[in-house]
Amino acid sequence: MTTSERSVLECVEPPAELASAEEPVPACSFQVKNLSIWYGEKRAIDDMTLDIASNAVTAIIGPSGCGKSTFIRALNRMHELVPKTRVEGTVLLQGEDLYSSAVDPTIVRRRVGMVFQKSNPFPTMSIGENVIVGLRLNGVRDRKFLNERLEKSLRMSALWDEVKDDLHKPGTSLSGGQQQRLCIARALAVEPEVLLMDEPCSALDPIATAKIEELIYELKTKYTIVTVTHNMQQAGRISDYTAFFYLGRLIEFGPTTKIFTNPSERQTEDYITGRFG
Amino acid sequence: MIAPKHILGTFDEALASLRNNVLMMSGLTERSLERAMKGLFERNDNLCANAIADDEEIDQLEKQIDKDGVDILLRFQPVASDLRRVVAAMKLSSNLERMADQATTIARRARKLNQHPPLPEVELTRPMYEHAMSMFRDSVDAFVREDVDLGRAVVQRDDALDELNRSVSHKFVERMAQDPEQLRGYLNLIFVGRALERVGDHATNIAEDAVYAAAAEDIRHQTVAAPA
Repeated sequence: MTTSERSVLECVEPPAELASAEEPVPACSFQVKNLSIWYGEKRAIDDMTLDIASNAVTAIIGPSGCGKSTFIRALNRMHELVPKTRVEGTVLLQGEDLYSSAVDPTIVRRRVGMVFQKSNPFPTMSIGENVIVGLRLNGVRDRKFLNERLEKSLRMSALWDEVKDDLHKPGTSLSGGQQQRLCIARALAVEPEVLLMDEPCSALDPIATAKIEELIYELKTKYTIVTVTHNMQQAGRISDYTAFFYLGRLIEFGPTTKIFTNPSERQTEDYITGRFG
Repeated sequence: MIAPKHILGTFDEALASLRNNVLMMSGLTERSLERAMKGLFERNDNLCANAIADDEEIDQLEKQIDKDGVDILLRFQPVASDLRRVVAAMKLSSNLERMADQATTIARRARKLNQHPPLPEVELTRPMYEHAMSMFRDSVDAFVREDVDLGRAVVQRDDALDELNRSVSHKFVERMAQDPEQLRGYLNLIFVGRALERVGDHATNIAEDAVYAAAAEDIRHQTVAAPA
């Protein structure tokens, strides 16, 4: 090997280990076992079992009405806000049963934050108040602590530079994409372990969508993220694992690269290639 | 199993058009190779000229297939089997274009040979030609019919073609030493043999792409066990 060849090779980063399709899911945030959920007589989720990896993005895809939103809402017990809801099975977060009678749902929702399809900043609150409202509701009064957490959350949601001089302005004065990042900052302010996102970009333009996607990519180093999306390309871009739901059942779950290049199930293939129906 | 149609009819039409252009290109390439080799065996300069002329149309089809493939990637963002088919079609067209270049090489060498008295050793290239064309046709068949077993079988046949080429080239070199007057003629035949060997290499590439398109399996650069 010549000196010049050696110097070039020294500059090259060694390739990352390639993920194998059979590679086991690493450390799990959630372990969902035999989960079934009913709204009255209607079974929305039918006997689902899957493990959700820590510090990774898991995308849930499937046609409307397949149970995607119900599933992620079950991960922080938000579906319980719907009357006549019934749950069977177990959902473990870091090994702890979220549905144990000893567990307070409000604590669960603090540990598992959520961002919705449509940005929903509190209309009567300023940008700054929107971010720290969760902490205030939890009794935090230390102004210095609140200010530090406010800046940290806005920086993590890539919004600080855009709003640092306008923290007193109403949250609703921001653009749609900024409002969505404000909601992410609000979710992050209480330092959750997991971030659930229900179609977080469906109401945003491509630039705002790109910013949220970039943000998701950065946040996964610190948080476990579970997102619902109808956008196949987005699922392919941002997620490490993909789960395909159909009629309330988990049809296929695996590394995103595998699902989008060579899915094992015919129904998955037909759905992602646009042959469904 | 026949895949159901896409909800988006224009996607099906675009994929069908891409596939038809690949088939047309494959047909033209096959014809070009046949004309070049027939021009060699029958000492027919017209056939050689036709083979050389075919190349331009094949080059244009390669560009068209690449353009159609990029359009499909852009407009429909295919995934899974659709993505594999588009990628394989684009790689196929590149291999077909290079095969057509080999047909041009053979035709040019044949025209040079035709200017001199016939060499009976031309017939030594016939088994290579038949072997290479059989690999070519089967590789395209494997792609069209998504036949994984046939694709694998084609890949295994390349070693035999390489061996045929070595053996025939060796005979030509021996003849050169025995008959230096015909040195240029034998040299041209060695180049014809090498072109046929490369046709086999491209057929192997096509067969490998056919297996990838059908089964999402990358069988390139593997040591393939000989059939039992």
